[in-house]
Amino acid sequence: MSINISSRQPHPSITGGVGGGSSSLVWRLLRRHISIGQLVGFFFANLLGMLIVLLSMQFYEDVVPAFSGDDGIIKNTYLIVSKRISAVTTLRGEAQPFTQEDIADFEAQRFTRQVGTFTASQFKVYASLSMGGIGVGTDMFFESVPDAFVDGQWPEGQRFDGDAFPTEVPIILPRSYLTIYNFGFAQSQSLPKVSEGVVSMVQMDIRLRGEGGAERLLKGRVVGFSNRLNTVLVPAAFMQRANAELAPNASAAPTRLIVEVKNPTDDAIAAYIQSKGYELENDTLEAGRVTYFLKVVAAIIMAVGLLISALSFYILMLSIFLLVQKNAEKLQNLLLIGYSPSRVSRPYQLLTVGMNALVLLLAFALLSWIRGLYLDRLWQMFPALSEGSISMTILLGVALFVVVSFFNIVAIRRKINSLTPRRKSLKGGLYHRING
Amino acid sequence: MNSISLHHTLPRVFRDRTDIHSDIWQQDVTFERGHLYLIEAASGTGKSSLCSYLIGYRDDYLGTMTFDGHDIREFCTYDWTQLRQRSLSIVFQELRVFPELTAWENVQVKNQLTQFKSDAEIAQWFEVLGIADKRTTKLGHLSYGQQQRVALMRALCQPFDFLLADEPVSHLDSDNSRVMAEVMMAEAQRQGAGVIITSIGHHMDLPYEKILKL
Repeated sequence: MSINISSRQPHPSITGGVGGGSSSLVWRLLRRHISIGQLVGFFFANLLGMLIVLLSMQFYEDVVPAFSGDDGIIKNTYLIVSKRISAVTTLRGEAQPFTQEDIADFEAQRFTRQVGTFTASQFKVYASLSMGGIGVGTDMFFESVPDAFVDGQWPEGQRFDGDAFPTEVPIILPRSYLTIYNFGFAQSQSLPKVSEGVVSMVQMDIRLRGEGGAERLLKGRVVGFSNRLNTVLVPAAFMQRANAELAPNASAAPTRLIVEVKNPTDDAIAAYIQSKGYELENDTLEAGRVTYFLKVVAAIIMAVGLLISALSFYILMLSIFLLVQKNAEKLQNLLLIGYSPSRVSRPYQLLTVGMNALVLLLAFALLSWIRGLYLDRLWQMFPALSEGSISMTILLGVALFVVVSFFNIVAIRRKINSLTPRRKSLKGGLYHRING
Repeated sequence: MNSISLHHTLPRVFRDRTDIHSDIWQQDVTFERGHLYLIEAASGTGKSSLCSYLIGYRDDYLGTMTFDGHDIREFCTYDWTQLRQRSLSIVFQELRVFPELTAWENVQVKNQLTQFKSDAEIAQWFEVLGIADKRTTKLGHLSYGQQQRVALMRALCQPFDFLLADEPVSHLDSDNSRVMAEVMMAEAQRQGAGVIITSIGHHMDLPYEKILKL
């Protein structure tokens, strides 16, 4: 196709862009028929919706850490899992061990961080204590879990793989044992209460008796107390050695597992435990239910907020469409004397985006005020609570602003475009073929 | 842009009519840059439709219209915006001015977009056209004839290859009509543009090179 050469260069200043002064004239033309009432209605409806959305988000962010996470009220990310003991299993005298498949399946769950097994002593344990000539002794047992699961420190540098059998074993007791002794037994028997420190100073004489009368004597010392593990705990390496020497033929299939989970408030855990028919020793999943409830409430409130936001968006669009319709003739005139659709759309787009931005800022301001009020209350209830991050809420607010503004801009532009004949969706540029 | 051509064009509403005897409809007509045309039309012959087609406001016609051989139906919104700013200017019969702005602002709405004329040049036109005292008057308060002069000034505030004037002097006496013709032709000649004037009787007294009956 032949292209005619421009007969005249375009006026140089035109290419330089739109003169600044035309903005105010165009705005003076297009602001006619703006309904303050409608815009105020939109403003408050949008503010309310935005505030509810952001508040539900922020409240969730602030409160949920109280029930989950490392700093939370519920700190326990360790679950102790056993198989359910029924009347039948008791009668049959069988323990219900976990198979390798059970353990592997547990490890494969996405909420699991690591799984450890409890290893029970396969030999008899007798511990005795002599203080000032009085001796007391008891049969007992040992268990061990991998060291990573122990909420205490084994003494440094002690090894159990030497040639000779170890002469001393460190022990961790459940803190609840001490509590039971001090506040239950000692009080009723008029015995002195003992502190953790006192217990740690006491040395026990321990006798281990295994298969075929094999016997080992050693000293035992309590090195710590555990909140997590409700058993008499010895180091895993010691247990391995002792079981190997004293009960080489016994199989030590685990009957209890210790599972570290990523987030104890994850509701998938409860579902899994339920479906497998396992039992939890310490029901940490209570927190999961609270969090789940909070999640649902926050989601419902957020949905209400979003609904209000959507309705306010609708009000704004109706208002702007009405405005465009009322000013249709002026808009058409501007288009016909050479204004581009984007240029005449801009005042209305700026108006809506400006209002959205104002709503967003005001919503943030109101949010931080309201948040101050409820955080004070929360801190009174949970002094250790660290406040949640506001970055997610800011992100959500900005995202909402961007999405709504984008739809505003597109809708206004489409409305303006509808004032002129529908054009074939060809790429522009024919003009330049005519005029160089 | 050097030429505007019409090939067998006809407003779609005239499709079933058999009594079309026109120099333009259903003919091959070309308007050249740098020439002066008069289109004489009786009421109801589609004069306003023709102007609407040429400015890209409507496209309900049969046949084709081309600018420099390019079918104007192919133009997109951007093309039309560029054309209306730089190549094609029109004085609408219905003026399409803004009554809530002053006479001066009505011209500035266009000139601020194109930055084509200085304030002094525009002020000069107001003087010549005899409405210098109306510059700050709201256009809605001016007579139709005065508004026509404002509409003409607005149309001249841009570069153009063709000026389309749809009954530009319908409400003017012959003296004012002559002055307006002088201002218009001076600018058109300065730009080397083609001028197409329509009329339903009363028209500017000018040396038309071609008179077509619609």
